[in-house]
Amino acid sequence: MKTTLSSSLPVPAGAVTARPSRLRHWRAALLLAPLFVMLLLFCLAPMGWVVAHSIQGDEGLTLEHFREVLGSPFYLQAFDNSLRISLYSSVVGLLITLVGAASLRRVENRLKNLVVAFINMTSNLSGVPLAFAFIIIVGTNGALTLLFRQWGWLDDFHLYSRSGLILLYTYFQLPLGLLLLYPALDALDDHWQEAAALLGANHWAYWRHVGLPVLAPALLGTFILLLANAIGAYATAFALTSGNFNLVTVRIASLVSGNVYLEPNLAAALSVLLVALLALVAVVNQWLLKRSYHAR
Amino acid sequence: MYYVEISGLSKRYGTTTVFEDIQLGLKKGEFVTLLGPSGCGKSTLLRCLAGLTEADQGQIRVDGQDITHLAPQKRGIGMVFQHYALFPNMTVAENIAFGLKMLKCPAEEMARRVAEVIRQVELSNKEHHYPHELSGGQRQRVALARALVVEPRILLLDEPLSALDARIRRSLREEIRDIQSRLGLTTVFVTHDQEEALTLSDRIFVMNQGRIVQEGSAETIYTQPATEFVARFMGSYNLLAPTEAKQLLGLDLKGHLAIRPESIQLSEPGRSYPAHFAPVAAIIRQHQLLGNIIRYHVEAQGTTLLIDHLNRSADDLLPTGTQIAVLIDRQQMREVH
Amino acid sequence: MRADRYHHLVVTLLILLLALPIVATLLYSLTQRWEASILPEGFTLAWYWQLWQDARFLTAFGHSLLVCVGTLLLSTVIIIPAAFVVFYRFPWLDRWMNIIILLPFAMPPVVASVGLLQVFAGGPLPLVGTPWILVGCYFTIALPFMYRALANSLLALNVRDLMDAAYLLGASTPRAFLSVILPNLRKGLMASLFLSFSFLLGEFVFANLLVGSRYETLQVYLYNMHNASGHFTSAVVMSYFLFTLVLTWFATRLGRQD
Repeated sequence: MKTTLSSSLPVPAGAVTARPSRLRHWRAALLLAPLFVMLLLFCLAPMGWVVAHSIQGDEGLTLEHFREVLGSPFYLQAFDNSLRISLYSSVVGLLITLVGAASLRRVENRLKNLVVAFINMTSNLSGVPLAFAFIIIVGTNGALTLLFRQWGWLDDFHLYSRSGLILLYTYFQLPLGLLLLYPALDALDDHWQEAAALLGANHWAYWRHVGLPVLAPALLGTFILLLANAIGAYATAFALTSGNFNLVTVRIASLVSGNVYLEPNLAAALSVLLVALLALVAVVNQWLLKRSYHAR
Repeated sequence: MYYVEISGLSKRYGTTTVFEDIQLGLKKGEFVTLLGPSGCGKSTLLRCLAGLTEADQGQIRVDGQDITHLAPQKRGIGMVFQHYALFPNMTVAENIAFGLKMLKCPAEEMARRVAEVIRQVELSNKEHHYPHELSGGQRQRVALARALVVEPRILLLDEPLSALDARIRRSLREEIRDIQSRLGLTTVFVTHDQEEALTLSDRIFVMNQGRIVQEGSAETIYTQPATEFVARFMGSYNLLAPTEAKQLLGLDLKGHLAIRPESIQLSEPGRSYPAHFAPVAAIIRQHQLLGNIIRYHVEAQGTTLLIDHLNRSADDLLPTGTQIAVLIDRQQMREVH
Repeated sequence: MRADRYHHLVVTLLILLLALPIVATLLYSLTQRWEASILPEGFTLAWYWQLWQDARFLTAFGHSLLVCVGTLLLSTVIIIPAAFVVFYRFPWLDRWMNIIILLPFAMPPVVASVGLLQVFAGGPLPLVGTPWILVGCYFTIALPFMYRALANSLLALNVRDLMDAAYLLGASTPRAFLSVILPNLRKGLMASLFLSFSFLLGEFVFANLLVGSRYETLQVYLYNMHNASGHFTSAVVMSYFLFTLVLTWFATRLGRQD
């Protein structure tokens, strides 16, 4: 092993040069070992197992599991649901986040810091507690549901449905989106808007020609993180519907921990497809990022 | 009748007054400078003129039209910012074309006008570069071109040179003046650098603490500072307190006595001198070499005076400790308050 | 000014939107009834009283604390020397570390669970159903936060110069590390610990799929209570939420002092 920095820096006399350098490097590398062992055990090993067993049949390698998933309307519906809910909640979340973060930059500092702290706080409310909070408010016997029904506002909204999940997902996207996007908005120089105004651009023209293009990489990056976050989410939906709503993550979990029958290899195939989907999203993101404005 | 007329303009933020009761007139085609230390209100005044900040009181008229409450988009004012404010997602050509695009200028005419102004600011080979690929000086030229291409009625320059290094600053400043006089553009320039103000301006408004303290040509401002503040701000003026003036020159003054360092001459003790000079015995304490000028710090009866002496040859240099006679030109002294 | 009022309106709406579920849960946990009325009725602390006397809840809470504290202790012991070595001996490795530590995030926890359930089902490490598997998984969750926080502190420190100075003054490597480097990492470390703690406390997927009721943690307990009264579960949610609130408050306090 070779360190580029240490060879270029003058090494002081004394303890440093006393021992042979190769030995010191091995001793130092030993301190990194536990970290890599832990990663190997709890990240790479399961990852490898999933990949290996997704193509593992009763006798030898097979694509049977993938064929089963892709030929099943039930699993395709799970993908359809997962994608739709993630996409809608990410788009709505991003829009609310953008408008909110843009305004947050414009209020006085004291309020700003307070709100940022508050957003940090709400980011803790996710998963099971979030689902329960929503059940209380807009569940079948939720306070708002009963109230709205009484007033005749609400007829067909159902929390345990797709629109209910979109609402819930959007909610847990908000803190994440705000925390990611808010610092990114500092990339906008206020003088740009002034310069644009003096050149005849109104608010919209400024955002269309300058603000949004400049923010495009940050918006894309945030969107992709929200999307990935939503696609991989499990706890919220599971807690809300007790695993009765057909999502990819719910399917995977039920194949390895359900009470009826376990099919870990099929779960592995579903997992590989899910991760492939996330990878595809990341690749598309990279491609769009390259096409967006490339200053700095 | 002025082309641009500002009357009774005031601006406050809470309890702090930014500027108060500003009266200011610009003739058409004039190059005017607002000069003052940072925080004197000059930049805010410029922003009010541009419509980026709303004034609390007073009126701004351009060509007889009241524009006090007009949106910046409709004022026909071009502005160059200190840190350029170029749109980072657009190339040089796109940045410059932006204003024309907002005016819905036809493509052909737009291309012609953009090319024309790019030639004027000498950026012909940089059209397709992005701002981050340009040097500071080049960026500021793009900013200038972007403001000029829409043919504004007034050009505002907000410390456009202060982010650049000294050499570029000097050449760009000449270029700005050159383009301005060629186009006959009414221009307001804001700076805290008195040298810049003196070399560029037709007229200078010196500002301090939200008020205009002196107005006049560069010549006047430099040689006849109206107040102690202006004298101090314009550079290395010797300012003698009333007691010092009494002690050294026997003058009974209420205000300070302002003497420019180059209006003091060095002489040998006992030599004769013209009648309008006042002689003072002094001793050389220190000298600094400022290129073509030697600046002596001399001490006369406990008062330190700065004297600028043309640096003709190395033999001229007077060593520290030399006893000399200092001759102060009575016609060049000014009492300031 | 018009624009000013618009921005305040947007921010206010945002706060209301974000606060709604929390406030509603809080009200629900403090009252006896909430049916078809704008505000609930009958203020009471009975739900909290009942909750904090529930042995099962206290056990689950204890389990969660044990697993989280254990994970963070292990992480500290493993990550601090590793980060130090990276910055002191192998600075070129930092770039790669930033990618490596994010590996766990390439797989959603559900996917990781599929593999974990099989790998640790039997064989040399039969960890499924024990808290130990959670400690391992939680290590991978805490890793990126803790490594980045330590890396930032180390970057600001200029480790090499400090160590060299300590050598010149006669200190050995471990001595120099303990007395010169470690004290300077304290703030970054503490902030990242509090942050990780609140994350781990909210972890449900691993806890439910890998261990479940065999070693019930707070989140699993909360889920298992889903048939209990909404007022009671609200009290659980609020207790948990207030606890993490205190933790994040500490984290931001420590983070700001840097």
